[in-house]
Amino acid sequence: MRSSRKVRITALLFLAPTIIGLLVFRLVPIGWSFALSFYDWKIFDTPTFVGFGNYAHIFSSPTAYKVFLNSAYFSAIYVPGSIGLALVLAVLLNNGLRSSAFFRGAFFLPYITSTVAVTLAWRWIFSTKFGLLNNFLGWLGVDNAPAWLADPTWALPAVALVSIWKDVGFYMILLLAGLQTIDPTLYEAARVDGAKPIQRFFKVTVPLLTRSLFFVMILALVRSTQTFEITYALTNGGPNRASTTLAFYVYQNAFVEFEMGYAAALSYIMCFILGLFTLTNFYFRKRWVHDG
Amino acid sequence: MKTIRYALGALIVGAGMAQAQDTTLSYMSWDPEQLEIEQEAIAAFEAANPGVKIETSAMPPKDYWPRLSALAASGDLPDVFMMSSGFVKEWAAADNLADLSGVVSDDELANYYEGAASIGVIDGKRVAFPQNWVAPVLYYNIDMFEAAGVPLPTTDWTWDDFLSAAKALTIDENGDGTVDVWGMSLYGRYAHIEPWVFRNGGRYLNADETALELNDEAVNALKFLTDLVNVEGVAPQPQEMEGVRQQDIMPLGMAAMWVDGSWNIANTRSIVGDDFRWGIAQVPVGPDATDDNVAAYAWADMLAVGKDSDNTALAWAFIQHMVGEGRDASDFLGGKVPAYIDIATSEGWLESDKMPANKGLLLEIGAQNVYTGFSKNWSGWRGYDSTGSSGMNGELDEVLNGRKPLDEAIDAFVLYGNDVLSR
Repeated sequence: MRSSRKVRITALLFLAPTIIGLLVFRLVPIGWSFALSFYDWKIFDTPTFVGFGNYAHIFSSPTAYKVFLNSAYFSAIYVPGSIGLALVLAVLLNNGLRSSAFFRGAFFLPYITSTVAVTLAWRWIFSTKFGLLNNFLGWLGVDNAPAWLADPTWALPAVALVSIWKDVGFYMILLLAGLQTIDPTLYEAARVDGAKPIQRFFKVTVPLLTRSLFFVMILALVRSTQTFEITYALTNGGPNRASTTLAFYVYQNAFVEFEMGYAAALSYIMCFILGLFTLTNFYFRKRWVHDG
Repeated sequence: MKTIRYALGALIVGAGMAQAQDTTLSYMSWDPEQLEIEQEAIAAFEAANPGVKIETSAMPPKDYWPRLSALAASGDLPDVFMMSSGFVKEWAAADNLADLSGVVSDDELANYYEGAASIGVIDGKRVAFPQNWVAPVLYYNIDMFEAAGVPLPTTDWTWDDFLSAAKALTIDENGDGTVDVWGMSLYGRYAHIEPWVFRNGGRYLNADETALELNDEAVNALKFLTDLVNVEGVAPQPQEMEGVRQQDIMPLGMAAMWVDGSWNIANTRSIVGDDFRWGIAQVPVGPDATDDNVAAYAWADMLAVGKDSDNTALAWAFIQHMVGEGRDASDFLGGKVPAYIDIATSEGWLESDKMPANKGLLLEIGAQNVYTGFSKNWSGWRGYDSTGSSGMNGELDEVLNGRKPLDEAIDAFVLYGNDVLSR
């Protein structure tokens, strides 16, 4: 009896740093920021209780509306784009692409490279007059190539493209791990049954990879709502907010305009939307994810 | 010589502070490069005040303001810190700045540029003191002017004179229908637009600075500027130049003229080198300007004392040392004009052996009626730092890139700006 209590106390002592850290640095700020979303607080002023005032303002603001639309547009490009490309790369590597160790490293490299450094390189690539992309298009006979980062039509897709390029290696590694758990005899059986490569992919690979795909999809969805560094360094949310997404807008309100209550309310709306999407995904999980 | 000057300055200031013992004074700056330059002056102050230690920290503006705000919220403001003209009203309204009215004498004030010194007075209270000030000027390429046979800009240039020059300097060198060198380069940010607006008597804000209400003079100035791109074709659309830093276009020889803050003198020197001769001029006065409404656009970088500082007297002595005769002209890079008149008028700062040969022109601007145009939440409605693509900036970009008419853009940024100002 005494020994069991001793074990419990020892365990608690070992867990204490983590629990205290979690409480102090995560749970208390989470709770505090939720309370803050009902206040008007310009950081060094006294907070004023405004009830749902911040939320009401957000839902009636044309700027916030534009930012929500941008966020949805970004996710619509980033999530399928990054997963699709990661899947293609993972399958190519799994099927014995020559120098696969080299390519595995090459595709993963952007993920671990400094975001600001690579984004500066992309700024040059997208530069209207001296950029690599527009010069290349010029050689192909395209005279009026877009100002990729200064045109509202192209700025957000450009941010999404760089984000996909940066993250695809990480998703590829996760999917590659999933692919390597598939029993090779299943492919042999399919081949014996006369299945062509494309049929083997859709009838064997995809069904057996759905668990990994589901995990990657949740990760990509969460990550798509958190894009910040690339936006900050590539377009600064412009032109005229065309590439401002929610995380960047929260940052602007919190750390440039110091509207802490407003930023907290925006964060909770983001949290709610993300939670809703994740729950929806889990709800539909059983319809397409094969756990066996 | 520089060291002797620092030491003398520190001794003068330190004479009245002999009682200070074992005191640490915290000093926070938004300019790490400038802080490096200041180390010698800081050491001289410490040497003249035995027992006083200056604890310094510096970070770029994007980190400085969140950090300083957090310190203000927790009641831990540094004793001395840099204060921007753009934010001083907000910080004074939030009662974060110590009242220095009692410690700054009129005799002391007479040593500084009045326009710069006045920016630190809010509602009759002195809450900050200028270290240096800056003002936008018209940069021009002398070689291009001479090659095109166009007279150089003068102080009595009109906007028509400017436009004629810009047309003559916009050149398609190989006749392929594409402009190779632009007469002017234009960007929709505050340092590039407001000088024209205020020199035309324009104002964006109402009298008590609580709402955006553009007067006709401001609208006319915006029309003149945006027409330079969209109608006259003497300046490129900003999107065409995406990928080239706006402040590099004129120094790289891609445009003959450009308006920017005087801080860009250092950058222009560094890029141009000996490639061509260049100078600076005052931004021309607009056709709607009168003696009553015309204003020069200039603002100061200031030092302030935290409201809870236990060492206000010592902090003020440190400020006196850092802004006054204890400093050397070489501490003020390029076009940062020392607020202390004797340093600004010294040959060491005027640098008449370097380009621009007429740097003293900045001192004439400082002697004029100065208007900053800053208000509470200015960075939100105008667009600054990471809000740089939104607010008025974003809408003007749309006009300059030919995607929106000016009147629609004005309606949009007034609506947005007034929402920001009402918060």
